[in-house]
Amino acid sequence: MLKRFRSLFGVLTRRRDFEDGMTEELRFHIDQYTEDLMQSGVSQAEAARRARIEFGSLNSIQGDCREARGLQFLDELRRELRYAARWLRKTPGFTLTALLTLAICLGANLTIFAVIDSVLLRPLPFPEAGRLVTIFNTYPKAGVDRDGSSITNYYERRGRIPAFASLAIYRYGTAIIGETGSTEREQITRVSPDFFSTLGTGPVMGRSFKDEETSYETDSVVVMTDSFWRNRYQRDPRIIGQKIRVDGLPTTVIGVLPPDFRFLSSEARLYFPLASSADQRAPLQRHSGGNAIQMIARLNPGATLAQAQSQIDAQNATLEVDDPQAKMMADAGFRSLVVPLHADHVAAIRPTLLLLQAGVLTLLLIGVVNLGNLLLIRAGSRAKELAVRRALGASRRHVISEVLVETTLLTLAGGLLGLAAAGGGIRLLSAFAADRLPLGSRIAFDARLAFVALVAAIVLGVLLAAPIAWFNLRRPLGDALQSESRSGTSGHSTQTLRHSFVVSQTALAFMLLAASGLLGLSLQRVMEVSPGFRPDHILTGKIAFPSKNYPNAAGRVAFTEKLVDKLGHLPGVSSAGVVTNVPLSGTSGKSSAAIKGRVLRPGESPRGNYSYGVGGDYFKAMGFSLLEGRFLTADDSRHGKRVCVVDEDFARYYWPGASPLGHQLFEGSEQQTDAEAFTIVGVVGSVKQVGLTEETAQGAIYYPYALHGDDVFVAARTSLPPESLGLTLQAAVRQIDPDLPVNDIRTMETRIADSLVTRRAPALLAVLFSAIALLLTAIGSYGVLSYAVDQRRREIAVRMALGAQPGQIRNQFLSLALHLLAYGVVLGSIGAWVAGRAMQTILFHVPAFDLTILAVAAAVMGLVTVVACLLPSYRAARISPVEALRES
Amino acid sequence: MGKAADLLPGTLDMLILKAVSLKPLHGYGVLLRIRQISGKALEIPQGSLYPALYRLEHQALIVAEWGQSENNRRAKYYSLTTAGRRRLREETAGWNRLASAIAAALNTTPEEV
Repeated sequence: MLKRFRSLFGVLTRRRDFEDGMTEELRFHIDQYTEDLMQSGVSQAEAARRARIEFGSLNSIQGDCREARGLQFLDELRRELRYAARWLRKTPGFTLTALLTLAICLGANLTIFAVIDSVLLRPLPFPEAGRLVTIFNTYPKAGVDRDGSSITNYYERRGRIPAFASLAIYRYGTAIIGETGSTEREQITRVSPDFFSTLGTGPVMGRSFKDEETSYETDSVVVMTDSFWRNRYQRDPRIIGQKIRVDGLPTTVIGVLPPDFRFLSSEARLYFPLASSADQRAPLQRHSGGNAIQMIARLNPGATLAQAQSQIDAQNATLEVDDPQAKMMADAGFRSLVVPLHADHVAAIRPTLLLLQAGVLTLLLIGVVNLGNLLLIRAGSRAKELAVRRALGASRRHVISEVLVETTLLTLAGGLLGLAAAGGGIRLLSAFAADRLPLGSRIAFDARLAFVALVAAIVLGVLLAAPIAWFNLRRPLGDALQSESRSGTSGHSTQTLRHSFVVSQTALAFMLLAASGLLGLSLQRVMEVSPGFRPDHILTGKIAFPSKNYPNAAGRVAFTEKLVDKLGHLPGVSSAGVVTNVPLSGTSGKSSAAIKGRVLRPGESPRGNYSYGVGGDYFKAMGFSLLEGRFLTADDSRHGKRVCVVDEDFARYYWPGASPLGHQLFEGSEQQTDAEAFTIVGVVGSVKQVGLTEETAQGAIYYPYALHGDDVFVAARTSLPPESLGLTLQAAVRQIDPDLPVNDIRTMETRIADSLVTRRAPALLAVLFSAIALLLTAIGSYGVLSYAVDQRRREIAVRMALGAQPGQIRNQFLSLALHLLAYGVVLGSIGAWVAGRAMQTILFHVPAFDLTILAVAAAVMGLVTVVACLLPSYRAARISPVEALRES
Repeated sequence: MGKAADLLPGTLDMLILKAVSLKPLHGYGVLLRIRQISGKALEIPQGSLYPALYRLEHQALIVAEWGQSENNRRAKYYSLTTAGRRRLREETAGWNRLASAIAAALNTTPEEV
């Protein structure tokens, strides 16, 4: 960008040198000649006069010289720029409309493009990031699409897959950092030693993890990010070797990462070794991923995804030979998939972003068509002036370049405004949605965007110039000169062009309107889905237990019982409980269960189901419905009773039409001894676990917390506004354990709303786009009809003089508008159908072609068009024949 | 350039190239030199000289350099480039062919037909 400016500046300064030199050179010539003449005896005055005359017109010679040097072009350009600027100033209404249209349309496009660029297009910030892949296990027939990778997978694959240069695993988590009394919960990531080298980066200070640091005895080392080092230690250069307290344990700092290091969308500021025991690496744990541990790898140069996939498949097949679980996993459709890391990370948001870009492109198209129409109308009103100028010798090239300069000036100014609008849009996005989007923190206003804006502005300028230049050059000169009115007659073909512009504009706007209707309906249908519990008045928060203070279940059970008891006695709290994972928490994993005495039917695959540990009055607090038997109680957990509650889906799958009460099941996919069995004591209603749009009912089992324990979410139902309970909850936890923070405190209603953000935001944006599109269409229809009325003033006047009623005149124009509207809606319906088809993947229970939506869209479209056209139609009817005839 | 009635179209460039091929010259010098080497037979319209010079410079057939004139004024001196020298050779050869062909044509007598 800077280079361009410099070169332009160069041309301009060189230009001044050129002018100065030329003047000096010509003066020298004239002076020399004058002197020579004087030497031959002519008086000085006479000599100077003759020299001037013989030399000829200085101005035209200078012009010729400039042309000889190819500089004429610049002068012409400057003149045309001045001319265009004057025209734009003289018609402020048009200029303002055009600039606003361009600013809004380009601004919207640039904003969405900035998002697409940073999320989808720009490579991840690692060297040769295109070679990074992720590998995960999938068991589609068991209803588990994605189960991450296991530690066993990692140790079995490491160094044994020729297509991979290196391979690593990682697990997101949190840790409590700091000394007693001033602890804070930090996002962390536990990684295998080759994690950083796989990414192609590593600590700029200190070192990365070693293989020896992957056991539980040796893993107290930490690599910190630059931001943690900066904020907590003010970039202390002697940080390496210092100890920080992590979950209460002293941990040695061994490295600091570079400032720009960021793995995908992770907020982690500390990295620890992913430690494991020999048991966790054993073949039996091969399928124990549970979607917590993820695997990444770097392809060797020249190796392809397909090669890597076939090598993984081959290794899986070899390992299955002596795996007792192999048969069952094969029944579940087990495979390990290799997919590009970047594409995989943004896969969920991709269709939405592309759809939004398509939406704003449509908006831009409407804007451009609108501008084209307005420009065409303007060109019509200048036809006679132009004809005179052409008759006086303006060349075709000149006419074209003049139009081009004018439209490009307009679009460049619009592009600049659009860029400013995009700057605002990006700020808004960064403030509200950046952390909800994968890679959202990368969204930025940068030189790339400015360049795209420049290119877009120039392309638009050329596109807009084309029909105007055609219009200006099309008609034989004589016609325009002879026509009586100042603005010249309107040819049939230009009229058709103008009308088709209005029709296409209407069609596109209709399409946008229908599409946003579909999105809105889809959002409404999602929001109508019952989550299966009563989400109002519930506050939830997450508590993660550090292993040092809570080495076993007893400590955690004791803590949760105290907490639930404390919360239950707070004023305003009606019931409280804990659960290992609250619905819609954003994380989920499935495991399997075996029904006692039941063997799989031939061809039946084992099912993954959600399993939770619950304590206190969890079901009551959440408002679950009890269908049969009883809920689990605090007593069950306290006494470690081997009972469980299943949900409706689980019950229906295994005991269709019968009661599951009294039946027994085992955790895990194998039959075990009777002592391990859990007896089903109740059936509760199904709840949406992952999101409201979840369709496949996988079933869930709820165990007593004492027997199925881990980190917990605490849930409390209150008669007060639940947000107000946040501090009370934190205080209650700190009273029991001062070092234990609560995080992710949100009401259940907020969790539901947050889970809908990728649906609500596009729907809102689509509504906004359609509103703009409607406005543009209204401007377009109004402009064309007004012009038609102006054009036909004389005709109308004559007809009225001959007895036509004002009502007839008005209806004639209204019917023209309605005709155009009808064509537009018919074409738009086809477009709406295509758009609906393209949107199917992100729509929920909404068909591509919804008649109600189309009817509403048509009604809105019709209303706006009619309102826009009423004014010109009434004006037509009020034309005074006497005045109109006298004018011309 | 329509005023150059004395000069055949296209010959001005050739003459300028010839003039500056002998010695670097400023614009006025080119005018004088052409007048001199043509034995005052060719008069160049002064106005068309400079556009021609600028065109030749733009085509990189001649280069310009600021220098001191005989009476110590700053003046722009033109000299031939390698490409200009080649062009001059070609044009001279072409002109000679044309001239002798025309001369031969004009000398034809009725008997030779």
